[in-house]
Amino acid sequence: MAQEAQLPTTPDRGGAGTPLLQAKTLTKHFPLGGGAVVRAVDGVDFAVLKGETLGVVGESGCGKSTTARVVMQLIPQDKGEMLFDGEIVGGRSLTLKEYRRQAQMVFQDSYASLNPRLTIEDSVAFGPTVHGVSKPAAILKARELLTKVGLDPARFAARYPHELSGGQRQRVNIARALALGPRLVILDEAVSALDKSVEAQVLNLLADLREEFGLTYIFISHDLNVVRFISDRVMVMYLGEVVEIGPVDELYDDPRHPYTRALLSAMPSMDPDNRTMEAPLAGDPPNPINPPDGCRFHPRCPHAQTVCAKVKPVLARTGEGAREAACHMEVAGSGHSRAPKLEEAA
Amino acid sequence: MTAPLVRMENVTVRFRGAQVVHAVNGVSLTLEAGQVLGILGESGSGKSVTLKTLLRLLPESRTDIGGAVEVDGRDVLALNPQELADYRGAVTSMIFQDPALALDPVYTVGEQIAEAIVRHEKVSQKVAMARALELLELVRIPSPARRLKAYPHEMSGGMRQRAMIALALAARPKLLLADEPTTALDATVQIQILLLLRQLQRDMGMGMLFVTHDIGVAVEVSDRLAVMYAGQIVETGTVRELLRDPQHPYTRGLLAANLHGAKKGERLEAIPGAPPALNSAPDSCSFAPRCKHAQERCRATLPPVVELGEGRVVRCILAESALAAA
Repeated sequence: MAQEAQLPTTPDRGGAGTPLLQAKTLTKHFPLGGGAVVRAVDGVDFAVLKGETLGVVGESGCGKSTTARVVMQLIPQDKGEMLFDGEIVGGRSLTLKEYRRQAQMVFQDSYASLNPRLTIEDSVAFGPTVHGVSKPAAILKARELLTKVGLDPARFAARYPHELSGGQRQRVNIARALALGPRLVILDEAVSALDKSVEAQVLNLLADLREEFGLTYIFISHDLNVVRFISDRVMVMYLGEVVEIGPVDELYDDPRHPYTRALLSAMPSMDPDNRTMEAPLAGDPPNPINPPDGCRFHPRCPHAQTVCAKVKPVLARTGEGAREAACHMEVAGSGHSRAPKLEEAA
Repeated sequence: MTAPLVRMENVTVRFRGAQVVHAVNGVSLTLEAGQVLGILGESGSGKSVTLKTLLRLLPESRTDIGGAVEVDGRDVLALNPQELADYRGAVTSMIFQDPALALDPVYTVGEQIAEAIVRHEKVSQKVAMARALELLELVRIPSPARRLKAYPHEMSGGMRQRAMIALALAARPKLLLADEPTTALDATVQIQILLLLRQLQRDMGMGMLFVTHDIGVAVEVSDRLAVMYAGQIVETGTVRELLRDPQHPYTRGLLAANLHGAKKGERLEAIPGAPPALNSAPDSCSFAPRCKHAQERCRATLPPVVELGEGRVVRCILAESALAAA
């Protein structure tokens, strides 16, 4: 095979109207033996539009990282499928290898995600050589990318990961993700391990790169302030399911699902005269092994009624905008006393 | 005026080893009984080392501690081993970030709490167990009688943190040191633990030093704040003063980086660069290389310690002009 000078750019096939990524009933269960099953991701549907940043929030065990790993195909799903720009991922027209060129991921632990025995320019150049770029061309590109992420190649290119600070290492990971010219970048708690002052630098960098390379981000974080700042739309997960998804301001200003409301009001107030007086939820998030029947949030929900324990609510359009929530209180005729009346809905 | 509960005067901590690390470089602080001081800083700022100095938890063989440390009238640095053992737990107690590491995995929660009570109060095992049960009720662990017999691994993260708080309070300390106790917890659990700590601190009249990197968390529990950078306190004041009128450029940068109320699409006012290596004691302003207001003077000498008012101290030349203007 003749080595190409650089990787060809990937064209926009489906046009602006086609979401870049569509996940359909993605499901991933981990059997524990003895019949117990961790239902890490349980029938998750969502779309990521071209050029947007989709924020994903939720607490430990809600399935946000497993979702990211399935989207990246680091682990195969048990059920469901994904369309990337309209084509089935892993299908005939979009092989896994080609898909992985177009989707890249940055992890939380900047040290564990770099090979300690490679210099950082070799790390950044590694992916493109696997995809057929010659070594000198890949190194050239790697240096260009290191410059883009704010690391002067003359000073940094020959260093090893342990010779860099956490913030610098995370910049290397970002450069490496971009080396293949991806269209989708999944950032799984990518700024969470950084100090606040360094985190702000990396967030600025991510915004610049999105602009320059026309990237689409899936941004997973437990920090609701950061998610609000960077996201166009936000998806809230609870015990392996999506409970609410919608445009960032609508969702933060007027959360519809009781869990979203609780999560937002658990944020520190930043106001010494107006401190939080009451915790919105009691207890810990439950275990995704054998989750409750019906609505998975109902044992902790202040508004739970009989219907909530019996019937699983589905994600449905609510309110004026493009928002969806999975709550019986939002669906006319659901049997919940706080649901809108059927006449009103019609 | 009575003596404060905690008084640290020009404390320095230096670790010897292959490389010398100047972790704490002249920290002075006071804490009145029943007050909460939040210590805010990033990794390597010396906030945890400052806390551990108060319990003498640092490895003695390779740590040099200078300055004065007094807690409840005792000279902490002069305590002999017996006095130190009596002091730990009964006068000053500590809770940590990771309760799974801080609790002993081979003893039940009840046994661990009872052990501390027996050690300090010379009561019978039975009495101590009854007290342990009361403590689990105090920290609001559901079904406390059953949890008394539980091992740490049988509990969830939030519950383990409550158990560790119960253990720390076992001998009714006057001072509670909290080292990032909610950092590993989920958001909805974090707020429960913060509210619990605030209430226990108030009910028991304890002083508390609360170390965190999260400004939102610090605001939620503290009366006063101290911001640390490169082993020094660069600014102190009440929570209101620091939030409404931050004087040190580093404090301002931290507030901006919290993103509270940041507008989407706006560029963040990020502090450039990274904290300094601490291989030598500072002889100029440690923040100067990252500071956009830095002048010749900042790089030549240590910054002045400017007292803007009672308990309101800033280590920066900018504060001098603020003082002159006032």
